[in-house]
Amino acid sequence: MKIVSGVLLVIVLLAGAVWWVADMTPAEPLEIDNPRIRLVPGGAPMAGYFTIANHTDSPIRLVSAASEAFGHVMIHRTIVSGGDARMEHQDSGVLVAAGETVAFAPKGLHLMLMGARRELQVGEDVEVVLGFEGIEPAEHSVTFTVVPVTSS
Amino acid sequence: MNPRRIALIAALLLGLTACGDESWHGKSIEGLMPELEFELTAESGETVTESVFAGRPVALYFGFTHCPDICPTTLARLVAAARRLPEPLREELQLAFVSVDPQRDGPRQLSDYTDAFSDRMVGLTGSQRQLKAFTRRYRTTYGYEEERSDGSYNVSHSSAIFVFDASGEPRLMLLDSLGVAEIAADLERLLSREARNADNA
Ligand SMILES: [Cu+2]
Repeated sequence: MKIVSGVLLVIVLLAGAVWWVADMTPAEPLEIDNPRIRLVPGGAPMAGYFTIANHTDSPIRLVSAASEAFGHVMIHRTIVSGGDARMEHQDSGVLVAAGETVAFAPKGLHLMLMGARRELQVGEDVEVVLGFEGIEPAEHSVTFTVVPVTSS
Repeated sequence: MNPRRIALIAALLLGLTACGDESWHGKSIEGLMPELEFELTAESGETVTESVFAGRPVALYFGFTHCPDICPTTLARLVAAARRLPEPLREELQLAFVSVDPQRDGPRQLSDYTDAFSDRMVGLTGSQRQLKAFTRRYRTTYGYEEERSDGSYNVSHSSAIFVFDASGEPRLMLLDSLGVAEIAADLERLLSREARNADNA
């Protein structure tokens, strides 16, 4: 009985300590969530999606993206108007205002990953380097997961 | 107003909307566009006409395989909606992807692409003349943007899915804003009506 309560006490203390430390660690200034690449067969370009949260108190701008796995990566937005769809290159990048979150999601902002250098598989990890303005370091290497084309 | 009267009015209003005949999620195009007719190249490489669908209802989307965002998103929704259909209807519906980018979408490219979505999806494309005739017939357009230095280019295209019934009559335009549940509801409603008509005939 004594041993059990001793063990319990240790667990509770440890949990408390972990919680306290986690609480103390400041949030990453730049948080990239759910980075994924939707696999398209046949060598056609693929879309990369994620969300960027800017936890700093000044604006940052995503200005570039590159990956060893692809020949060329661009920042695009799909625009649907009057029943027609087209893509627009984001010439000046994508602004993420202080404290804001911007979603790269289907039918909107996406990374356009072109010229795959090898055949990718669902579940595989792909590194993509995102380049920012307004934050140091400027380059963030992000691990994207390859997901099926039928996922959203 | 007393609560009973409010309840009565609410019930009446509900009844009215439920009876409203054209309460599709998509847009009814019944009688507004000509029946299905085309000459295109199938993903098998053969020249085909609308008879390739063998008198089955068709959900058709115009796009191009180098479209990484809206095309896969729309096709995935369509396939998910088709999968939700009850068994006999699911077997009936034919899915079609018409590439308006024949320069990059040869038969092999098309078949790899459509296979990734569903084995019920057939890929079609054609010459500029054939594609222009077909898109014009359904009052939609496509266009090519300026080539980039690496030779790649973007293509603008319709964002809606066109649904034709078994006799090739245009019935619905499913706009890109519809979700899987809404597409499935429209398809089920249309196809079960069709099935009933076929039984009566
Ligand atoms: Cu794009």
